[in-house]
Amino acid sequence: MFLKIAWLNIWRNKRRTLITATSVFFAVLLAILTRSVTIGVYENMIRNMVSYSSGYLQVHQKGYWEEQSIDNTFELDPELNQNLLQQPGVIQIMPRLESFALASFKDRTKGVMILGVDPQKEKTVNNLHEKIIEGRFLENEKENAVVIGEGMASYLHLNIGDSLVVLGQGYHASSAAGKYSIKGVISLGSPDLNDNIVYMPIKQTQAMYGAENRLTAISIMLKKSADLRDLKSKLEPRLDPAKYEIMTWKEMMPEIDQFIEADSTGHLIIIGILYLIISFGLFGTLLMMTFERLREFGILIAIGMKKQLLGFILLLESVMISLIGCFLGVIGASLVIRWFTKYPIYFTGELKEVYQNYGIEPIIFFSEDHQILITQTAIVMFLSVILALYPGIKIMRLKPIEAINS
Amino acid sequence: MAKTIIDAHNISKIYNKKMVPVKALQDVHVHIEAGEFVALVGPSGSGKSTLLNMMGGLDKPTLGTVIIDNIEITKLSENKLIDLRLHNIGFVFQSFNLIPVLTSKENIGFVLQLQNVPKKKRRQRVMELLKEIGLEDKMDNKPGELSGGQQQRVAVARALASKPKIVLADEPTANLDSISANKLMETMAKLNREENITFLFSTHDPRVIKKARRVITLVDGRVDSDEEQIPT
Repeated sequence: MFLKIAWLNIWRNKRRTLITATSVFFAVLLAILTRSVTIGVYENMIRNMVSYSSGYLQVHQKGYWEEQSIDNTFELDPELNQNLLQQPGVIQIMPRLESFALASFKDRTKGVMILGVDPQKEKTVNNLHEKIIEGRFLENEKENAVVIGEGMASYLHLNIGDSLVVLGQGYHASSAAGKYSIKGVISLGSPDLNDNIVYMPIKQTQAMYGAENRLTAISIMLKKSADLRDLKSKLEPRLDPAKYEIMTWKEMMPEIDQFIEADSTGHLIIIGILYLIISFGLFGTLLMMTFERLREFGILIAIGMKKQLLGFILLLESVMISLIGCFLGVIGASLVIRWFTKYPIYFTGELKEVYQNYGIEPIIFFSEDHQILITQTAIVMFLSVILALYPGIKIMRLKPIEAINS
Repeated sequence: MAKTIIDAHNISKIYNKKMVPVKALQDVHVHIEAGEFVALVGPSGSGKSTLLNMMGGLDKPTLGTVIIDNIEITKLSENKLIDLRLHNIGFVFQSFNLIPVLTSKENIGFVLQLQNVPKKKRRQRVMELLKEIGLEDKMDNKPGELSGGQQQRVAVARALASKPKIVLADEPTANLDSISANKLMETMAKLNREENITFLFSTHDPRVIKKARRVITLVDGRVDSDEEQIPT
């Protein structure tokens, strides 16, 4: 009955309720889309950085991160591999040998990052083969071929089948040199990687650097990046602290984490302002609904209705108006997100360059994380409860006889 | 001897005590016994509504006590007063005051709902009252779809739904035409006879005063006369 009364009450003034619910609808829609884009762009940026370079977690030789030298490598240990793979949440571990070298073709030379990978394992988690824009991806860990980033191919004027000469410093100051056939050109989400990356089969990399069976890192891929801190704390005690160190991508790339934090704060301020605006709208409606019915409230209290119950009905009215707006906002936002997930927005021209200069892939991704919908709806519902407090207090202080005579 | 149901003892009400004091009631004594049908009469500003409000626990006297069915209501907390009204007192106001979004039967059943009366019993009582007030065919109509007289009859039915001991009606016929007023008074008198509910209503309509069995006249906040009569 009280639900029915609240529901019927909000439709006493249809236009006012519709206007208020519409303002809630737009606020929820905009807030969800803003958060979805923000988080979507971050997720994509993290996915790109993490998948194609660091992994969510990395195990190194102790001290490697302080001094990233080929001399600070460790020997491949099947027992360690087994240990890591047994952890829940770990979907793959990828041995990597990473170092810098000079790469040259004809009269052009460029400093590059050599990333020795196990092609089969990389395929299973990173879908690197799908990012190939020319040629093919590496097939096994021994072939004498490399895949290079599209920026680098363009800079060195390299084509499929050309030979790339690589020169660097190997393990224990030996010289590292090799000539490799270009098997594929890859286009990655990160412009930095595109300009510098050379994917090389791990056995070839180890041979070139004279670091047989040695690795700079084991990259760990997880089901969800959210498991990161938890998994690190679980893994840490299982590794020999004198021998290994384990780091998250946030520790390895703090600038990206800081950028996300700072950018996210800006977006949250905008969403806060949005909610402040709708709070005033909703509050105005609640005030009108309260003041125009003061006499009725007085009568209801006179015939035996407890003030608390009356306040509860007003709260229900506030929540109902918000729920209508939220419900429609969530449906609207879900449809928009679904559409843009299927057909992402690609930036072109100057905007594309701006994004690339910041190291961000020039595509707008929308996050499909349901948590965003739940959080934004919860915020609006929370606001509607808070805003209903004032009419509630007003009712608690109401003197029935004064209200009846008003 | 009938039981005293309302005992307003030495009641005074002064408004604006600090500025210009207005004495709405001065030393009023009124004793009403269970089952009486009493008209409270007097010119505008004589204190009729103020006295009714005191007796209904809607307002507190500046001086004096009000005892309803042996409970001194002037000392009760707000929630206890609301409970007392819910179970013992029915109100009928001058301007109908039904819940506009509910139908006639829902308005009548509203007080029963507040009392958590089971649905079946509630429906039974509502139908009984609708029959009593002759508005069975209007049970699904909302107040806006009823005439003033019909709305006031629904308001009376609402006041009686929980079988209160007392019904306080503040100028119940003030906004009604003579036919509707007459019909309403007949309904109230019938319920008073059949259900032994005490009715106390304020009015200054001579046709309504004639229906009362006791007439208390207030002038300038004092009881001027208190007489019994044979209703006509």
